[in-house]
Amino acid sequence: MIKKIIKYLSSLRFTILLICLLGLVFMFGLWIPQKSLVKQLYFQWQANSPALVAFLDALQLTDIYTSPITLTLWGLFFLNLALVMWQRIPLIKKRIAISEAKITDPMSAAGYPFKKSYPLPDGMDGFSIIALLRKRGFTVIESGPGFYGVKNRLSPIAFGLFHLSFFLILIGGTLSIYSEFYGYLDIAEGESFQGGLEQYSQIPAPPSLAKIGSPPQVMFTVKKIVPLVSGFTETGLKVDLLDRRGRDHEIDINRPYVEDSTTFVLKGLGMSPLFVLKDPAGKEIDGAYVRLDCLKGKKDSFLMGGFEFKVKFYPDYVLEDGKAATRSLEFKNPVFDIAVERDKKQIAEGSLVRNGVLAFDGYRLEMREIPFWVKFTVSKEHGIPIIFSGFFLASLAVIWRLIWYRREIVGKVQDEGGERTLEVAGRSEFYKSLAEDEFKKLFSGIVGKSLRDEELNPSLNSHPY
Amino acid sequence: MTYWETIFFLITLGIYALASGGYIYSLVFKNPRVMPKITFLVAGGLFAQTVAIGARFAATGHLPWSGDYESALMGGWIIVGATLIVGWRNRSLQGLGVATVPLVLIMMGFGYMRNPVLTPMAASLKTFWLYIHVYFAWLAFGAYALAMAAAVLYLLKRKDSQRPVRNPSYESFPSLDRLDELIFRYIVFGFITDTIMITAGAIWAKDLWGSYWSWDPVETWSLISWLSYGISIHLRVTFGWRETRLAWLAIAALSTVIITFFGVTFIVNTSLHMFNVR
Repeated sequence: MIKKIIKYLSSLRFTILLICLLGLVFMFGLWIPQKSLVKQLYFQWQANSPALVAFLDALQLTDIYTSPITLTLWGLFFLNLALVMWQRIPLIKKRIAISEAKITDPMSAAGYPFKKSYPLPDGMDGFSIIALLRKRGFTVIESGPGFYGVKNRLSPIAFGLFHLSFFLILIGGTLSIYSEFYGYLDIAEGESFQGGLEQYSQIPAPPSLAKIGSPPQVMFTVKKIVPLVSGFTETGLKVDLLDRRGRDHEIDINRPYVEDSTTFVLKGLGMSPLFVLKDPAGKEIDGAYVRLDCLKGKKDSFLMGGFEFKVKFYPDYVLEDGKAATRSLEFKNPVFDIAVERDKKQIAEGSLVRNGVLAFDGYRLEMREIPFWVKFTVSKEHGIPIIFSGFFLASLAVIWRLIWYRREIVGKVQDEGGERTLEVAGRSEFYKSLAEDEFKKLFSGIVGKSLRDEELNPSLNSHPY
Repeated sequence: MTYWETIFFLITLGIYALASGGYIYSLVFKNPRVMPKITFLVAGGLFAQTVAIGARFAATGHLPWSGDYESALMGGWIIVGATLIVGWRNRSLQGLGVATVPLVLIMMGFGYMRNPVLTPMAASLKTFWLYIHVYFAWLAFGAYALAMAAAVLYLLKRKDSQRPVRNPSYESFPSLDRLDELIFRYIVFGFITDTIMITAGAIWAKDLWGSYWSWDPVETWSLISWLSYGISIHLRVTFGWRETRLAWLAIAALSTVIITFFGVTFIVNTSLHMFNVR
């Protein structure tokens, strides 16, 4: 009974079934908004169809990638893979082994679709044929007049390596999940990050701590933030950092800051203007660098001195048909449109430029400077090198297996009536016609015949592609 | 689009439309002599497309890498280029254009509807991983498209072989055995380049988004298409699926690639792969 179960669990049909089921899971994950990936869409959907979403929640289809069903499928997939690989090891050993038992009569050899005989020119014998085959990359063993040659003998090992890479990705992925620290960090020009948890942003979510390991032990100061924009396209975001050792780092999009296995990836940009509020007597009541998420037309607000200031930002301000607009995303003419509220009632509205003043109800709001702040995605995980090794190994192995596949030939040199003849049979993995063309070309070259051989198919040009 | 880009893009579309009509004429009216002439016409279309790409490069300073329009423009160029190279090295395979040229025509038509405005290179695309990822993506798509084309030729020729009166247009195609092998060879090439594309994409994603895999719709569909072709290879090598079954697999599997490249961004706007700025 157990043997039957193991046999089924290790069958390729089961593998294909699992892959199809996983494919189905992925498709569900695409069509049904996933809670962890598209939160806003999920909550919107939940508000519109609460009963349907509750039903799908109960089936765990809204968190499908980490649901018990999916994890079970993955578990079975890797179990199946391990069993298949275990069973294949002796087969692979057998296939890469080379022995005299493989030397057979070419004309009656089973499983060799290519069979030909060639008259040999004077001076050419079995030894010279074998030497020429060796020059062309074949490993050849001989016994009497017969020989066996194989090219890319070790290619079946790549099968094992390709599937082993899946386990590397599994190990790396599991290690990453358990050791992952994830958080968001908002930091402005001139500010320092000391590594404390309290400095991480609580929006959109508080930092998630690693199950194994500590939060990142990283410290740096942001010296300068320079966004690069051309028209409406962000073409760069250069951030100069000074680390705890006093070394400068210039980072950008696609060039994160990495320290202590932690990656700081630039996720967003905002404005951090210095506002100063003065009372009717001209005395400063309050002042602060206010972190505003107001780029790309987003509205934001801040509280100061008992007032609420609702802000809209125009990086390249222009009036179009009497309405405020921006010509581009370039910071050529930065202007804040501010609506002032007190007790939820708007009391004033106006525009504010750098070193400008917005007067309302006797008060004055001044804007002294407009530095930037950036949002970092902070992630620390220990499995990444293992995962990338898995990807790299998979790529190498698939290239090795599918391009440098095995070719085998068996041959015999016969002496009959003073004439020497080479009889050969050949086969290759995966391809029959391509192999025939290849062997014809190989042996035509070896025995010195021209390619205008009546054996070659005249309707096919010299190149089989 | 620039002035010259628009002109040459439309000329390309016109030529590919004529060529598609010519291929259909050649098969339906059993006139194989037209096929080499259509190949010259397609080569002319490719030249016009190259000029369009050059005009866009001159205006933006970068090759067309991002967005549906640029993907269709550059991807179509690679598919037609691959078709012509294969047809040049082996005249019996000129017929691959029967399937690839109409595919490219539809792709480019779709791309044209998808905001072909000129944009400078976005910051998120400024990395050498872009070239590796996108280059291998287009090699994979091109190879899968050729596999589909070989499959179409196979099915047409096989159906014709069962008729009492044969269509001479199919005589110039390779034999059914060779077409069957070609399908598999193109799938293999596509699978290798697809694997490299996914690997490069994961490494790039770690630097750009902070995570090597986010179950983004485009990522998920690229995994689905990779698995589809992986299953095809398994079915061929292990279960001996060949000929008609493999041909239909090659045609069906291409749909997953088309969804990955164009379908996802057409339907959803929450994908991390939306690199269009405006």
